[in-house]
Amino acid sequence: MLSSNAQADRFGEVVMPHLADALSLARWLTGNATDAEDVVQDACIKAHASIASYAGGNARAWLLTIVRNSCYTWLARNRPRSIVSVGDLGDLAEMSAAHAADVLERGSPEASLIAKADLAALEAAIAALPQPFRETLVLRDINGLAYRDIAAMLGVPIGTVMSRLARARGLLIFDLGRAQ
Amino acid sequence: MNAHNDGLPEDAAGMNLMLHALIDGELDAAAAMAVERRIAADPGLAAEHARIVALQGVVSSLPKPQVSDALSARIAAMAAAGNAEVLRPRAPTAQAKTSRRGWAARSFGSFDWRAMAASIMISAVLASGATQWAMQRAPDSFAAGVANGHRRGLLATSPVDVVSSDRHTVKPWLDGRLGLSPPAPDMAKDGFALIGGRVEVIGGRPVPALVYRHREHLITLVAEPQNAGAVTEPVDLSEGGFSLVQWSDGAFSYWAISDMERPELDDFAARFRAAAVTG
Repeated sequence: MLSSNAQADRFGEVVMPHLADALSLARWLTGNATDAEDVVQDACIKAHASIASYAGGNARAWLLTIVRNSCYTWLARNRPRSIVSVGDLGDLAEMSAAHAADVLERGSPEASLIAKADLAALEAAIAALPQPFRETLVLRDINGLAYRDIAAMLGVPIGTVMSRLARARGLLIFDLGRAQ
Repeated sequence: MNAHNDGLPEDAAGMNLMLHALIDGELDAAAAMAVERRIAADPGLAAEHARIVALQGVVSSLPKPQVSDALSARIAAMAAAGNAEVLRPRAPTAQAKTSRRGWAARSFGSFDWRAMAASIMISAVLASGATQWAMQRAPDSFAAGVANGHRRGLLATSPVDVVSSDRHTVKPWLDGRLGLSPPAPDMAKDGFALIGGRVEVIGGRPVPALVYRHREHLITLVAEPQNAGAVTEPVDLSEGGFSLVQWSDGAFSYWAISDMERPELDDFAARFRAAAVTG
């Protein structure tokens, strides 16, 4: 058992430096900044209670795992209808097949077009991503986690992380090309 | 399509995943070179590569939500209050009681709990000399960050993120993540074996760290990049049960920390400096 001082120090070292990342993830999973603050607050209470169980390793990934769980608990309580089943992989496959067909038909946009994308359009495109794709993209491209950390957090193989990430980015590239 | 015999997927979907993995720095040096060769030979792959890089660029330019002072004060107060309660389980201080009520009652707006929370945070910081995170701007904060990182390394199941005694593995791994890497001589014959590396975040900046083992002791060597810095001799910064020595070779400022005795750590520093020069 940690002494209380050590516990407070550990909280300062492990949790406090990653609040901005926690807030980013919560913002993208709940869809708005106010709810994100509530969720991060809940997550920090949980993190504080279980700080003794933090076994080292990537502190950001540890905190974000708690934030992600808090997000889904919060969504289940406050917006039960917004939760899409994650388990339905058939839908995902269908969706990305449809996307692949679209891309073949329309062709992919030039990189320079994407680089100049309107940020509001990009935010809307990310918000519109199916949840499993969105959370993988946010964990990688906004929170900067490595594939293996994301795989551990979502409880899926690294190959699944890779394909979700590729599909998420493919959908965004398609949307940004279309928005021009 | 001809077979490439380079160990990479031959199908388009598999190769697409490799492009993403290359951009994310998830490939080892050999695979990364093989993917780059494929890109050079295939305009379609090159265009997709450029699109993904462009997308990552715009995604990273999205404004990040700011952690408001009110939120971080609230969370720091919660940690401090939990702490006070653990200290005195039977008779919680008035301050801890109030802050807990403030925490629970925040949505009822019955009093200005934000101001309360902020004042508790300040008293908690003053009361605890060891609250390094609150003093990140202090001059010695880098030393505190090095010490915290070393302590975390000792607590972790593995003190390193890339396990290798081979500097040809450790250096590219650090290069892939940070775009730079310090000299990483293996000094096993001198009794200091390189066991791997990891990335530390100190003062909000990622910096490379090497981990050496000397008998049962671990040594963390943090290398802070410098721009044309001065060359300085080792300085002793030991405190709090750890030996800490800092020196600089102009390109990096080195911070070696360990629970070994000072003379042994000095010996390590001297051998590292000699080995880093000769490569």
